[in-house]
Parts: sequence; C-alpha cells; structure tokens
Amino acid sequence: MTSHEWFIEQRQAHVIRALEPDEERAFHEHLAGCAECREATAALERDLAWLPLGAGPVAPRPGLNRSVVDTAMGRRRATAGRLAPLALAASLLLALGSVWWARQTVSRATGAFALRQAELTTALAGARDTLSILRQASTVRHASITMGEYRGGMVILADNQSHRWNVVVYGLPAPHDGQVCQFWFITDSGMVKGVAVPTSVGAATVLTLAMPPGNFQVKGASLTMEESGSAAPAPQGKELAHLIL
Amino acid sequence: MEHGRTPDPKPPDNPSAGREGPPGRGLSLAREASLQSRLIARDEQALVELVDLASPWLLGVALGMLSDRDEAEEVVHEAFTIAWRRVDLFDQESGRLLPWLLRITRNRAIDRLRARRRRTLKQRRLEAFGGAGERVAPAVEPDESARPGWHIHDTVHQALAHLPVEQRAVVDLAYFQGLTQSEIAGQLGIPLGTVKTRLRLAFDKLRLRLAGIREWVL
Repeated sequence: MTSHEWFIEQRQAHVIRALEPDEERAFHEHLAGCAECREATAALERDLAWLPLGAGPVAPRPGLNRSVVDTAMGRRRATAGRLAPLALAASLLLALGSVWWARQTVSRATGAFALRQAELTTALAGARDTLSILRQASTVRHASITMGEYRGGMVILADNQSHRWNVVVYGLPAPHDGQVCQFWFITDSGMVKGVAVPTSVGAATVLTLAMPPGNFQVKGASLTMEESGSAAPAPQGKELAHLIL
Repeated sequence: MEHGRTPDPKPPDNPSAGREGPPGRGLSLAREASLQSRLIARDEQALVELVDLASPWLLGVALGMLSDRDEAEEVVHEAFTIAWRRVDLFDQESGRLLPWLLRITRNRAIDRLRARRRRTLKQRRLEAFGGAGERVAPAVEPDESARPGWHIHDTVHQALAHLPVEQRAVVDLAYFQGLTQSEIAGQLGIPLGTVKTRLRLAFDKLRLRLAGIREWVL
C-alpha cells in the first residue's frame, strides 16, 4: 500500500526512525513531493523535540568535554574515553600553575616554534578545562591557614558532574628544606595520599584533581606538612587545613 | 483495537518563567540564541559552553541506546563535530539548537546499532528464538536533580510513565533502543499491526503531553 493514507499512517514511524529500510526510502521519496507530509513530520519533530531527554544524563568522564571540543575543532580524531587519562594529564599539567607555564615558555623563547605552539595548546586546553570546573562547581569550601606571620588558605571547588576539583592553595611560604606540603583526600576508608603542593607567598597554586581510584567515597581533603620523601600512607606531620565537603 | 488507560493528557503549563534552571548554569532562550549566533561566528568558547551543558544529556541518550561507554562517547564526539560544522546550515525557524543536537545523537546511535545488528544477524539467526536482543540499563544517575535540563527530563519521564505498559514497551524499543517496527514485532512476538497501533496510540499521547514543553529550555 503506497497511497497517501499509508504515508499519513507512517509519519510517526518515520520521525522516530522505526520504518524498515525500504519503507524509509519510499517515505523519503514521497516527502520530496508532498508539502503536507513535510509540514506534518516537521510539526511532529518539534512536538517530540525533548523526548530524547527521557534518557537520563550521564556524567562525562574526566577529559571528555575537552576531547569533544578538540575533535570538533579538528585538532584530534575522536577516540572516545580511551584518551581521557591523557586529557586529564594535560589538565593536571595546567594545574601546576599558569605561573610555572609562563616562566617555562618565556625561558624557552628561543626554542622551536612547533614546541612553543604545543605548549600553548596544552596550557590553553588546561585553562579551559579548569574554567569548566569553575563554572560548574556545585560545592565550594574554604579553610584559613596560619603559618607564623603568613595568612593563607585552601579553597576547594568541587564539580559533581565531572567528579573533579579545583584546589587553590594561597598565601603560604615555601616549605623548609626537607619538608613538603602534602595534599590528602579524606575518604570513608581513611586518608588517601594526593599530590605534593608547591607553595609560594607570591603566587597561588591551582590544582585540578580527579578523585583517586578505589572503592571508597571521598568526603573531604586535608593539607599537611610532611618530611619530603616520606612514603607513609597516612599523614605524619602537622595538619594545616582540614575540609569536609 | 487498543485504548489508552489514561484520559486525554493536559499539556503542562507553559513554564517559560521560572523553569530555566539556576542562573548561569541553565540555558535561557536568549542565551540559546546567542550561543547559536556565536557558534555560527565560529566562537570556540561557545562550543565549550555548549559541550559542558549538553554532553551529559547526549551521553545519556547514546549510552542508553548503545550500552557501551566508549561507543557512546564516540557518538557524542560525532554529534558535536557535525553540529560545529553544520551549525550555519541549521534552520532556527524549524527547530531549536539542543533538540537538533539530541536528534543528531540519536540518529548516529541508531546508525551504529543497525550496523552492529547487521554484523550479528547471522549469529542471531542461529539462535532458536531469535535471541532476546540487547536490553539497555537505565542511564539515569541518582542525585542529578540540580542539573540544568532536569525539569525537562522529569516531565518527559512522567509522560512516558503515563503510558500503558504495553505502549511504553514499544516506545522503549523503538525510540530508546532504535528498533524498527518489524524488529519490535519479532522481539515481542506480536503482530506487526499491533506494534504499529501501539506506537501510534503512544505517540499521540506523548505528542499531546510534550507539545506543551517544546519551548522549554535546558
């Protein structure tokens, strides 16, 4: 049956792509010459525009959004989540601080243009990634830190969509020789060692951190002063800040 | 002849005020229009904003259909790449930016599903009763109600929940798993005509319920 009534009956199936391939071809050919069916199917599409949202949202893995933008811009090929760790690494690179990056790029001014371009691209990707967390942060916590005459602090901006944090440590002096400022995740299974945080009174340190792997829930974060080179799995030194999210 | 179990649904009230999500995170109509203009002007930051806003929903659609996270992420890559390249061809009069992106995502996921089915057709023919097909796990994650667009998801979810069970089943298979009418008939073991009737009744109801929210924004 290929009368106009048949096409009228199949409009919905066409819009949701439930027709068989040969039926779909016939419908497409019909649409080309039938303004009524074109208008009717367009109206159907408009009415059902939000139906895909019947499927719930899924939080993207860290680095996916950056990777999607790079793919769309033609800077890389789509590789799904397999490159997510690399994207995260790029983000982490940024997290070590735009100041560090600036010093590095300036000092390498005589280097090859391609190398500099790569550095800029990496830093820019990281900056955008960091900004995306700042925009989406759903939880913000601050702790003041006093170290002698210095007044600083630690701020955590948590993005519950990508499960990443921006951590800002500011106003703290560089550790004494043989010491290191250590970041810890507070979890329901105890403390999990994070990264060593370089500190300087003159410049805040910005970190972008993914949640550590493991079967536990992260509850907060702690900053301690530890002996450098210590392999202790839990804090041994003085706690500078303690934040529960 | 089947009849729906619920009275004619009343379309939701127009929520143009107060349903646009938290300021700065959701997408107002004006911001959506601005976003589209900036995309056409090749503003990369506009693409970043669009990806941040829409990727969880696109990923939900693709993952719900494909049940494979890597493949779903590839579909999301493809959808945004197509959108970025063709946004200047997008006709604002005929639709909206986010629904257009969702449609691209769903179409790409269906293309992959059907290619996957063609590859496994021979194997499935060997199965005594044609196999049970692929059932997808719900893509919904808990504690997401603060996410921009959740109010739309909630309304769509309610519209689907109001369908009689047998109509909901064919909608799930056709719309959220990408099966054709004949494939649904084979999978459920019911006549093709019954599938068509159930789909028609279901989409008549969905259309009534969802037409009222088509101007909503994420």
